[in-house]
Amino acid sequence: MNGSETLSNKKTNIVIHAVLIATSVVMIVPFIWMLLTSVKTPMEATQIPVKIFPDVLRWGSYTEAFVQSSFKYYYFNTAFSALMKTVFPIIFSSMAAFAFARIRFPGRGICFFVIISVMMVPNPVFYTPQYLMMSKLGLVNTVTALWIAALISPFATFLLRQFFLGISKELEEAAILDGCNPFQIYWHIMLPLVKSALVAVVIIQMLWAWNELQWPLIINSSPEKLTLSAGLATLVSKFATNYPVLMAGAFMAVIPMILLFFVFQKRFIEGVAFSAHKG
Amino acid sequence: MNSRSRNMWAYFMVAPTLIGTLVFWSWPAFYSIYLGFLKSENFGLVNHWVGFDNYQKLFKDEEFWQNLKNTLKYMVLFVPSTIVLSTFFAVLLNAKIKGQSAYRVIFFLPQVTMPAAAAMVWVVLFAQDYGLLNHVLGTRVSWLSDPRFAMYSVVLVGVWAAIGFNMLLILAGLQGIPKTLYEAAEIDGAVRFNKFRYITLPLLTPTLFFTTVVLMIGASQIFDSIYLLIGKTNVALPSVRSLVYAYYQNSFVYYDQNYGAVIVNILLFINLILTGLQFLFQKKWVVYD
Amino acid sequence: MWHKSKKSTFLLVAILAFTMIMTACSGNEKNNGNQAGESASNEQSSQPAGEQPAKEVTLSYTIWDMIQQPAMEAIAKEFTEQHPNIKVKVEVIPWGDYWTKMSAAAPAGTLPDVFWMHGGQFIKYATGGFLEPITDKVQAGIIDLNNYASNLGSIYTLDGQNYGVPKDFDTIGLAYNKELFDQAGVPYPDDTWDYNKLAEVAKKLSHPDKGIYGFAAKLDTQVGYWNDMLANGGYILNEDMSKSGYDDPASIEALKFRYQMVLDKASPTHQQLTDTDSTEMFKSGKLAMIFEGSWRNVDIDSSEIIHGKWNWAPLPKGKVKRGNIINGLGNTMSAAGKNKQEAGLFLEFLGSKRAAEITAEMGAAIPAFKDTQAAWVKSKPDLNLQVFIDQASDAVPYPSGSKSYPVWFAKESEIMSQAWGGAISIEEGAKKVAEMMNQAIAETK
Repeated sequence: MNGSETLSNKKTNIVIHAVLIATSVVMIVPFIWMLLTSVKTPMEATQIPVKIFPDVLRWGSYTEAFVQSSFKYYYFNTAFSALMKTVFPIIFSSMAAFAFARIRFPGRGICFFVIISVMMVPNPVFYTPQYLMMSKLGLVNTVTALWIAALISPFATFLLRQFFLGISKELEEAAILDGCNPFQIYWHIMLPLVKSALVAVVIIQMLWAWNELQWPLIINSSPEKLTLSAGLATLVSKFATNYPVLMAGAFMAVIPMILLFFVFQKRFIEGVAFSAHKG
Repeated sequence: MNSRSRNMWAYFMVAPTLIGTLVFWSWPAFYSIYLGFLKSENFGLVNHWVGFDNYQKLFKDEEFWQNLKNTLKYMVLFVPSTIVLSTFFAVLLNAKIKGQSAYRVIFFLPQVTMPAAAAMVWVVLFAQDYGLLNHVLGTRVSWLSDPRFAMYSVVLVGVWAAIGFNMLLILAGLQGIPKTLYEAAEIDGAVRFNKFRYITLPLLTPTLFFTTVVLMIGASQIFDSIYLLIGKTNVALPSVRSLVYAYYQNSFVYYDQNYGAVIVNILLFINLILTGLQFLFQKKWVVYD
Repeated sequence: MWHKSKKSTFLLVAILAFTMIMTACSGNEKNNGNQAGESASNEQSSQPAGEQPAKEVTLSYTIWDMIQQPAMEAIAKEFTEQHPNIKVKVEVIPWGDYWTKMSAAAPAGTLPDVFWMHGGQFIKYATGGFLEPITDKVQAGIIDLNNYASNLGSIYTLDGQNYGVPKDFDTIGLAYNKELFDQAGVPYPDDTWDYNKLAEVAKKLSHPDKGIYGFAAKLDTQVGYWNDMLANGGYILNEDMSKSGYDDPASIEALKFRYQMVLDKASPTHQQLTDTDSTEMFKSGKLAMIFEGSWRNVDIDSSEIIHGKWNWAPLPKGKVKRGNIINGLGNTMSAAGKNKQEAGLFLEFLGSKRAAEITAEMGAAIPAFKDTQAAWVKSKPDLNLQVFIDQASDAVPYPSGSKSYPVWFAKESEIMSQAWGGAISIEEGAKKVAEMMNQAIAETK
């Protein structure tokens, strides 16, 4: 490699970094603005020309948003339903995926088709019928309604099946000779082998469950039964254009996921990349 | 172990997912089609069969065609820009540069942000008089309530949120391309762009194809950001309202579940076409090694 | 790899478990309440009231106005002092979401035990059988509908059945910022003002370059152009509620007059008012005048910026008369409630003079109960609240009372926003609304 090439490489690197840094700023600015606006007075937030930093940091909007809009319930409902919508799909989907991938049983094709066919249906198609169903069951405006229909996941079943298909037969055959039943094979041998895939599914399910807006908006009404995202939508109706309070609410809603992301960032990023291989 | 007991185990393991799917997903999908043929009264407690009346009304409704156009416009703007930008940044990050992991984290941040919260802060950023965007650009555009700009603003927020995730998917695809191919090209003296054009891009098609399909299906269901970015009395609402937004409005604000059902049934139809096209083109376009 | 991921999974579960423990207590408490409630209602159906042992019951009481929450809680507290076994939980669902949520709850049988009712929505819920009639109580004289002012007692009546207890009424006033008037040396608005004067002064007080405007000529119905339309001799719905008045020439003229103030830069544009709510703008001292409802009084006065620097005046006179909308809210109870006996008791208390007094003293709203309005007027002695009471006598009732209202009202603002945003002309918008309303009326007959 000669001198002029390394020089041009250096130049290119500078350009690349400049582009990446500029984009990073665009990516982060909304978060910074959220935080800055939340500590302004309503006057400062709508001042012309724009006032970037407030005169004093005013945390009152956080108390206002928290107290006036049942945030403690939003946190619980969101965390609890996200937990349900992650743990159960993982168990049920991995079981089903294992059976579909490793056991030849009569009706396997049709069962699998039934499950993945719903992946083609856009979510809103389900909402009205599911709402009517909840209505019949007396579950409208309950925390249960938030997660009951999401205990299973066709997507996770499909994804995990791909991973189970890729495992070699030898381990399984040895276990069968040892007298293990299919469930034992699944639990003791197969599950540990697809651990990375399970982590990927956990992350995707959790992100999706945490952020979902439309279903909670439709099914629940009491402030105590709402999730963070639906609660934020209510906050907008309640506080109109009192931006510091709205931003305080938004910040409180995003911070748990962002903290989780920073703690487990490697897992998040690997998980997403991992699911891409077999998706 | 005999095959009968093995089958019993299989049914046992499949049962929760299968039953759950049938009850909570398959049945509602068919029921939505049934709802489209009814006219409900008194909050849906009284129903009459009306055949294709709802569909006739829908096809005569100018607003529906506008909403369909908006949805397609969103897809056409959002999907290619996300793909191009995500690929661009994935290629940049794939080169061995310092701080790669920091950039990945930053780019992924919007993805872990609740769309509802993100939309709320964008409303402030986009504001006409005191918005940061106009302040920085020195303009006085009303980004969200001018029908000429509103759609682009919604797309911008969508792309902002989607780049990180899709960049990671594409990055994973890039890292799957054997290094030896590039080394061979370097011996042949290929320039940077040609390497991208003749090696990277063809080998990336499976990933790009998968990403495009997922994004299209997601984009066809756009609701969250429009619901929170564009208020109910925003003059730009008709020029950005999506099918799912119209579904929500008709079913749960105007109390007409049947008309709402008809709208999402059209969306279902569009998604089936997309899936069909996917199978068709997968064979033609995608280069598998 | 192995160890690391095990640790992180454990951490995740631990965090979630911790969140659940933190909030578990409140969840348990609620369950107990419900169980107790169920058993209580079971017993009540078989035993006459008064003889049964007092069971713990928690009633849900849902309202849409956050500002009135403290007053409603004070009423609930006093009720619980009288009936120690009945607790009341006040829940707020903002107006913008309220009817969407209620219409989802009604067929599901999950309406709150007691909730605020609006004249426009009443027929829909009453004909659907979702409201518990209180006719027995009225006939037995436990609730006397003659106790309430201005015929408010008759709003929540359908086919000879009574469903609601009048809660409060509201009218519209002109709020003005004294400081901005003083700076321009313009005398404050009074009862001699007409619409031309309003437009003239609004123009004079506007300084768009400083972000200050004379008036908010916003897109709004009850606190907006409905008053203008009435004052100009137009109407919203005709007498028998069979035809829209939006396409009446006098109505269109009034709408155009209001929109002209936006064009004259005497008012912020529709876009600006979407970015900043007009009342928030008034509260931050950037608007000299707005139309607002009596219910916003406490909220406006809570602003540190204009506290002590603002007041109320009557609405201006129009070509024909002084227009104003009077609306009476009511309290109703769900027909599907589990604790109807207790809910009925609470409803009685909500309709009592004592509840009206609490409402008035806390300045929450103008109570419907006769002769308690003076207390409300005195709740903010430095503000001319009397204008709301004075205007009530010749105000026009809110155009509700038909099954079609919920349908057309939801669509009205969307069409008018096209006109206000400049996408279509005012005349076109008004005609479109009229067409839409007439169609809704025809379809819900």
